[in-house]
Amino acid sequence: MRLTAGTRSYLLAFADDEHLMGQQHTEWIGVAPFLEEDLAFSSIGQDELGHAAMLYEVILDADGVSPSDTAIDALAYRRSAADYRSCRLVEYRNGDWATALVRHWVYDTVEQARWGLLENSTMSGLAGLAAHATREESFHRLHANTLLDVLLQDGEARERILSALHRLETQISGLIAPIPGENEAVSAGVAKERLCDFAPELEAAIGTRFGVCIRLDAGEADAEFRLARSEDFGPLMARMREVLDFDPAATW
Amino acid sequence: MESFEAFLDDGGIVEVDDDMPDRYRRAVFSFIEMHANSELMGGLTERDWIPKTPGLRHKMAVLAKTQDEIGHGHLLYMIAADMGIKTREEMLEDLFAGRGRFHNVFHYRAETWGDQVAIAFLVDAAALASQQAVFKNCSYGPYKRILKRIISEEGFHMRLGEDRMMRIAEGTERQRRMFQDSVDRWFWPSLQLFGPDSRPDDELLRWYIKSERNEVLRDRWVQKFVPLLIGYGFTIPAPDLRYDENERRWDVGPIDWEPLERTLRQGGPDSARRIGEAAENWQRTAWVRRALADPVPR
Repeated sequence: MRLTAGTRSYLLAFADDEHLMGQQHTEWIGVAPFLEEDLAFSSIGQDELGHAAMLYEVILDADGVSPSDTAIDALAYRRSAADYRSCRLVEYRNGDWATALVRHWVYDTVEQARWGLLENSTMSGLAGLAAHATREESFHRLHANTLLDVLLQDGEARERILSALHRLETQISGLIAPIPGENEAVSAGVAKERLCDFAPELEAAIGTRFGVCIRLDAGEADAEFRLARSEDFGPLMARMREVLDFDPAATW
Repeated sequence: MESFEAFLDDGGIVEVDDDMPDRYRRAVFSFIEMHANSELMGGLTERDWIPKTPGLRHKMAVLAKTQDEIGHGHLLYMIAADMGIKTREEMLEDLFAGRGRFHNVFHYRAETWGDQVAIAFLVDAAALASQQAVFKNCSYGPYKRILKRIISEEGFHMRLGEDRMMRIAEGTERQRRMFQDSVDRWFWPSLQLFGPDSRPDDELLRWYIKSERNEVLRDRWVQKFVPLLIGYGFTIPAPDLRYDENERRWDVGPIDWEPLERTLRQGGPDSARRIGEAAENWQRTAWVRRALADPVPR
């Protein structure tokens, strides 16, 4: 199946989100609050990087390019900043662990819904990938929920977590905002419906989980949200490309 | 102690709830604690370069390797804590306060991607050889069982390091120069990981924690890695290196133990940053541990 520009952009947005979210999680290894969390965050990070690699493969297949490591890395690392379709939530620099945990919960809640939209996809390979990823996402969500069940009972922890949630409000809106090319992807049967239609459900889930009401601004005005990179993208990508840029002719 | 040593000489295995002389308990505990600290600090050394791994699938493999190292630390802290001398938290607090010991190599900084590969190739091989020698006749049952898993995973790490080293060896001139610098930085610390020659009265040997003397393991590493590195076109940073045709063995010349001794005093090239950053992270996330330890609404 040849991809239209819109559908390609829609799939790239998902792949880029998975790539950068996985990258952010990997940076917690060794510095999480305790050893079990070092292991959990790095496992989840590996899953997200794996999803990214598989989504890039689907795109390359549709482009008629053999999905070698080199071809995947060209898509993952070698595009110009303007060609990425990531949202600001995954570009946002790592800070405190409360923010990492809130981002993990929100991202995986939305990710599960996102894979659900692809489970009957007309596009080759995507439905199977969605089934595979959905199984993993249930464990990711269990992990985040198990921690939040306990931490939200504690005064100081609750305060830190809610403050992180409010700090991320704009970025969460960007995650759920209309995705460039989404309408084409829905028309082609690649996705069942638009992700932004999930916004009310996400607002309700946040209310139930955190006991606070936040209003997500996921309107059409945000459709351009993923077309420009946030200030955190440059330093993040520069770090990711440091070795690749050291010698562009090298194979590692 | 005599009957206990006779039990060990007969191949006896000590389990956590068995009676054991206090000196044996403390010596085994210290050995396992240092191993656990080294796995964790090794993971931190590698962590600096994980975000920069060149390639998406490559990054998944490198991350899995470091996850294994942290996982080894996790298992080792648990069996050490079971010995009833310190809790896991006390061991970590000691480590982050600069009172814990860990291998000399993790007092150095990985300065380039080449260093990351050199660690997987040279350091992991040295650590693996030491661990295999402990596993061989280990008298402490819980440690022996954990080592079985650690050794099987370390074998994969070493092969990953070897595979990446070979790509560099067959790569561009810049890659080869980068790795030569890494060999220059990591050859001696890797060799010194085995420690100075074992003392004749080394209790760890007598009590079947170690099964081979440090100098034997060190020499075996030299005989394997010197020709391997030379074969791939790299030079060994040992001015007195020579090959004895009669004995058919490599001699690296005199070993300067001062760098190793500095790391034992926490005065290695990267000791202060390594320990300082770990302590800072531990402090910054204390609220999570407090909240999870006391999950009562307040």
